[in-house]
Amino acid sequence: MFGIISSTSFAGTLVINTDTSDAAPKEAFEYIIKKFEEENPDVTVKWNVFDHEGYKQSIRNFLNTDPPDVANWYAGNRMLPFVRAGLFEDVSDIWKDSGWVDGNLSENMEHAKKSMTIGGKQWGIPYTYYQWGVYYRKDLFTANGISVPTTWDDFVAACATLKAAGITPITIGSKYLWTTAGVFDYLNLRTNGYEFHMDLTLGKVPYTDPKVQAVFDKWDELVKPGYFLENHAALSWQEALTPMVNGEAAMYVMGNFAVAPLKEAGLRDSNLGFFQFPEITPGIPMAEEAPTDTVHIPSKAKNKTDAKRFLIFMSRADVQEEINKILGQLPINKNSSVKKGDPFLAAGLNMLNNAYAMAQFYDRDAPAQMASEGMKGFQEYMSNPDRRQKILERLEKVRQKVYK
Amino acid sequence: MFPTPIHQRPIINQYIYKIFLPISLIIWLIPIFGILMTSIRGLGDITAGNMWGTPSEFLLFSNLHDVFTNTPMIKYTLNSFKVTIPTMLGAVALSCMTGFALANYKFRTNLIIFFIFIAGNFVPFQILMIPVRDLTFKIGLYNTITGLVLFHVAFQTGFCTLFMRNFIKALPQELIEAARMDGASEFRIFWKIILPLTRPAIAALCVLIFTFIWNDYFWATVLIQGDHAMPITAGLKSLNGQWITAYHLLSTGSIVAAIPPVIMFFLMQKHFIAGLTLGATKG
Repeated sequence: MFGIISSTSFAGTLVINTDTSDAAPKEAFEYIIKKFEEENPDVTVKWNVFDHEGYKQSIRNFLNTDPPDVANWYAGNRMLPFVRAGLFEDVSDIWKDSGWVDGNLSENMEHAKKSMTIGGKQWGIPYTYYQWGVYYRKDLFTANGISVPTTWDDFVAACATLKAAGITPITIGSKYLWTTAGVFDYLNLRTNGYEFHMDLTLGKVPYTDPKVQAVFDKWDELVKPGYFLENHAALSWQEALTPMVNGEAAMYVMGNFAVAPLKEAGLRDSNLGFFQFPEITPGIPMAEEAPTDTVHIPSKAKNKTDAKRFLIFMSRADVQEEINKILGQLPINKNSSVKKGDPFLAAGLNMLNNAYAMAQFYDRDAPAQMASEGMKGFQEYMSNPDRRQKILERLEKVRQKVYK
Repeated sequence: MFPTPIHQRPIINQYIYKIFLPISLIIWLIPIFGILMTSIRGLGDITAGNMWGTPSEFLLFSNLHDVFTNTPMIKYTLNSFKVTIPTMLGAVALSCMTGFALANYKFRTNLIIFFIFIAGNFVPFQILMIPVRDLTFKIGLYNTITGLVLFHVAFQTGFCTLFMRNFIKALPQELIEAARMDGASEFRIFWKIILPLTRPAIAALCVLIFTFIWNDYFWATVLIQGDHAMPITAGLKSLNGQWITAYHLLSTGSIVAAIPPVIMFFLMQKHFIAGLTLGATKG
């Protein structure tokens, strides 16, 4: 937090609050704000950077008491409480009106529209996301005669082959819990589909539902034969990279941020690969896990005209391209391209541009209390799959309490 | 004399001592050695699981460069000095006066006041976290160096008073009485007689308080939110990336953060040890 947020804003001043306290996101915003000011010399931007963690608390305060003109936040159910409380401005007109931008926004960001839509309206503009999927050791796959699995049966068979060869099929570090949610989300998205996953994270479906049981049946197929790294509960996600670097583990269900440390530790494009989480129930449209960062206009903003100009600016293909070059992530606008020569970004871009919908990750889609209990449950299940029934019953109790 | 010097002990004890001293020393130093080793590695080594082996690259200088360029580390260091030095001066100055008063003047509430100073030391500061945060917030000093300094001064004065009072109490009373007979004012006695005599205690206190406050992490994270006032101990966490725990940079940064108190310790080693034992044997 840099000093006190000014409550005085005169015409032509655009106040932007962001949680971009980490180096790369900060640099990205520095860049776009400078570019925006160059293109719009009549607007002066006043930018407040908040600490990433503290922002979650601060935004509740400032949206009510001292709203900026633009604030960054996250898509999907994370923005639901603010939309319900009437704190975010409806920006459906930006999404509808092709005259706002170079081309049609709804078309260019169609695949991300679902996660920006609540009650049939759009509440913000997404500007960056990154893919989740399976990162794997190409050389270990080749050595064991495995090709990239596209169906669940192939995937389980690949795990069996690797296990028989003395290689841990899937590494995971569940010390901080959230990694388990990545696996759960994908199993649920593939077994039951995006709509069911959203219903579950919105608290509309009990955790004891047969469809949730079906997810855990699939999970059983991986956990019971010991396809996950054995001592996962003792390791952070980062520490669980080590077996993969050393060739003792072959796959990791992870976000694209895992690529940088893996490469730094010596893996190359020749032995590190990425594939989409395989299909489980045939015919269910493939939704992906892609946590999306967004910009919004608080409904009490003072300078909505310039705020809208900024949102339109942020949706532009060229701007998204530049932001994401700095972030090392993916642009949402289909007309943007990514850094050449990065097969992981290229694969992710291709996968997400064709995705049916975007889930935001369990701890963003579900409310904080549910998410924290849920992830504890997932971790406990992965260590003791026999307790599954008890865990699900406990989560159901939490659900009834949280979504009252 | 207690404890008995080792060379007066039975020969077998002397051997046990000679064997176990280096062993326990090594065990004691392993974490520091680990930090030193990690500070010259790259993240690649750490991800590959090479924690204790030979570093594949010598990256101390590049790590140092990253520590100072990726984050406002110089600002954090300056902030640390801005917090530590005023606290040291404030707490020591106050406690010289309180110590003098409590040691020399006989008044009814003397002991009670003294006990209140001491009692402050026994309150675990986690209990104070929320009230202190609220207090500084209401005074308008939340998230400022002044707020942090004032709190540290208040909290450290308790210990310092105990220390100074006991030290002054042990000075020969005749000196003070002689001065009074000669017609010196109380302030003059304090300034011309007590202060020069307590110089070793003041030096020892300064060193102790400097290290205490420099190494404070808890209050820095409770009372400070922004880079503008963040001291180095709490600022180290900004070395982490968005996703990655940068163990190599954290180690390098920790070493940088440890340098001032270590220098202070070596320069004032004599006073430091005197300080630790002074309070223990007198009073």
